[in-house]
Amino acid sequence: MSIAGIVVSSGIAFGQSRILKQHNTELDYRVLALEQIPAEQAKLTTAIAQFVTSLAIGLQGLSQNCENYQLIEADILLLEDDELIAQLQASIAEQQFTASVAVQRIFTQHADQLRAMEDIYLADRAQDIACLGSRLISAINGNIKHDLQDLHGPTILFAYDLTPAEFATLPLDKINGIVLKTGGLTSHTAILARGAGIPALLSCDFDLIKGNETLKDDQAVALDALSGNVHIKPDSEILAQLRQLGKDDTLRKAQLLKYKNRPMVTKDSHRVALLANVGCLSEIGHLSDAGADGIGLFRTEFMLMNASEMPTEEVQYRLYCDALQLLDGKIFTIRTLDIGADKELPCLSMPAEDNPALGVRGARYSLAHPELLKVQLKAVLRAANHGQIRLMFPMINQVEELDKLFDIIEECKTELVDEERGYGDLSYGIVIETPAAVLNLASMLPRLDFISIGTNDLTQYTMAADRTNPALTKAYPSLSPAILTLIKMTIDTAKPAGIPISLCGELATNLNVAAILVGMGLDELSVSPSSLLELKSSLCNHTLATYQKWSQQALSIQRLDELNDYVSHCY
Amino acid sequence: MYEKSVTITATHGIHTRPAALLVKEAKTYTCDVLVECNGKQASAKSLFKLQTLGLYNGVTVRVFAEGAEAEQAVERVSELLVTLS
Repeated sequence: MSIAGIVVSSGIAFGQSRILKQHNTELDYRVLALEQIPAEQAKLTTAIAQFVTSLAIGLQGLSQNCENYQLIEADILLLEDDELIAQLQASIAEQQFTASVAVQRIFTQHADQLRAMEDIYLADRAQDIACLGSRLISAINGNIKHDLQDLHGPTILFAYDLTPAEFATLPLDKINGIVLKTGGLTSHTAILARGAGIPALLSCDFDLIKGNETLKDDQAVALDALSGNVHIKPDSEILAQLRQLGKDDTLRKAQLLKYKNRPMVTKDSHRVALLANVGCLSEIGHLSDAGADGIGLFRTEFMLMNASEMPTEEVQYRLYCDALQLLDGKIFTIRTLDIGADKELPCLSMPAEDNPALGVRGARYSLAHPELLKVQLKAVLRAANHGQIRLMFPMINQVEELDKLFDIIEECKTELVDEERGYGDLSYGIVIETPAAVLNLASMLPRLDFISIGTNDLTQYTMAADRTNPALTKAYPSLSPAILTLIKMTIDTAKPAGIPISLCGELATNLNVAAILVGMGLDELSVSPSSLLELKSSLCNHTLATYQKWSQQALSIQRLDELNDYVSHCY
Repeated sequence: MYEKSVTITATHGIHTRPAALLVKEAKTYTCDVLVECNGKQASAKSLFKLQTLGLYNGVTVRVFAEGAEAEQAVERVSELLVTLS
């Protein structure tokens, strides 16, 4: 039996299965009789003690200076907090609540209080508090989640969800791989797994029953976090195949490391900037490991994903300043909020649209809500006082849209002067993601300092094929003569202006396609951090002249299958 | 009573980790140390209470204590409020 998932940390791993029990966070809503109160209070005390003990076990073997150690220690301090315990015990005694309901009430109150704070860093703690509360309820219900101290050999861990704090308590020396059922909210755990070099999948329905088979503890498991499959009780053929793949993968990763500190130049010393697409601050901290020349796409929508309200100018300003500090002079490209009706955000009300991909999204949304855009623009302008920032706007078709955006930027600058707050100069760009933007580029160039071709959306809008619709995978080829032609047109128009031409999109993660893109004259490629080193190791093998020859050949091919065949063999 | 006023300079304010360090230090003193900010008061020994004060960058905090080691405790807590980040 094998189950598919999404690779978040690549590699091959083998081990025995172990399923982490889901929290039992059921609440007991009985009203206690007076004589039951002392027993219920004792139950709370015992649960807290057990929970603290399990956390303390997790602390052993962690360095005192690491972030996770300190976070777990903070959890323990909270659980042993006299004021908190007094409130919980009083709630049981006076309101006659059960321990689980008392915890639920008081932790929710506390989380709400934190959430109401104007500081995003403090408000973020609300989620941690809510999570700690449900873990305590689980402990009250007799279910301490981390019963992993008895693991005897190499293990593949299956969990419904795993918070970064929970990740820290795992006996990592025995855990060879991780499979998570959830998709969202785990990006930080994914980064930790990558950092620890543990292969991991998420969005994997491992509790699905296939035929008569279900996953149980202590079954043989092979985790293929290269193609994104987990095999339960694999046969000898699969095992042999994966062993070989695993060996190759380990070797390849070791070889890639030597490219970390090398600049990206072709064999004839032509410089290409390799940049990263990132969506949160914690990813930026790991960029130097990935050998990036900076950030080619910072998706600012992420700030809104879990927020109950729009982050203030001050909060955004500090976030951008932090990023500048982490990047230490490397390229920093911010994309303004790219939101639309297809992404549900709790803090913004967006009317449903019949065709969200063709609807009020990207800069269209920003222009329709200048009050939101101005908060972001002012924060970016102020941060630019502390370092060079490139700002780009998504979904621009027409120069008039740019005119309006620049009018708003001027308004922001005037307001900042009136408020006696400084601002710095920005470089401005657009994401080229519609055929209209390619065709209208010449009229927009005088206002731009750089451009970035967003191939995912450019393909979707060129092919008129919804990229999220699985029935359309054939109608949405990532490499096609049409896309190459549009990229060529963009480069031919922009090159004489002497501005950097960047490409951010999945297209560049294909090593052969990347070579052709460099040959066509792109100055920068921006891909996910995990693809960077491999791209670097590949692009430095040949000269620019070779890539130019390949790209000319590729551009002359008119048939889709011929093009893909040529590109997959050109190297 | 001994008291002192300080301003928070940490960019992200006193969030969970620095607050936890502060609580651990405060607990080493026998006297209680109180922290007042934004019109609210909390014991420096309670992380639960400290979190609700809103110890942001730029806010002014009054630290005060009475009893044994009051002066040392207030000085130490004030110092941490200014230096932790």
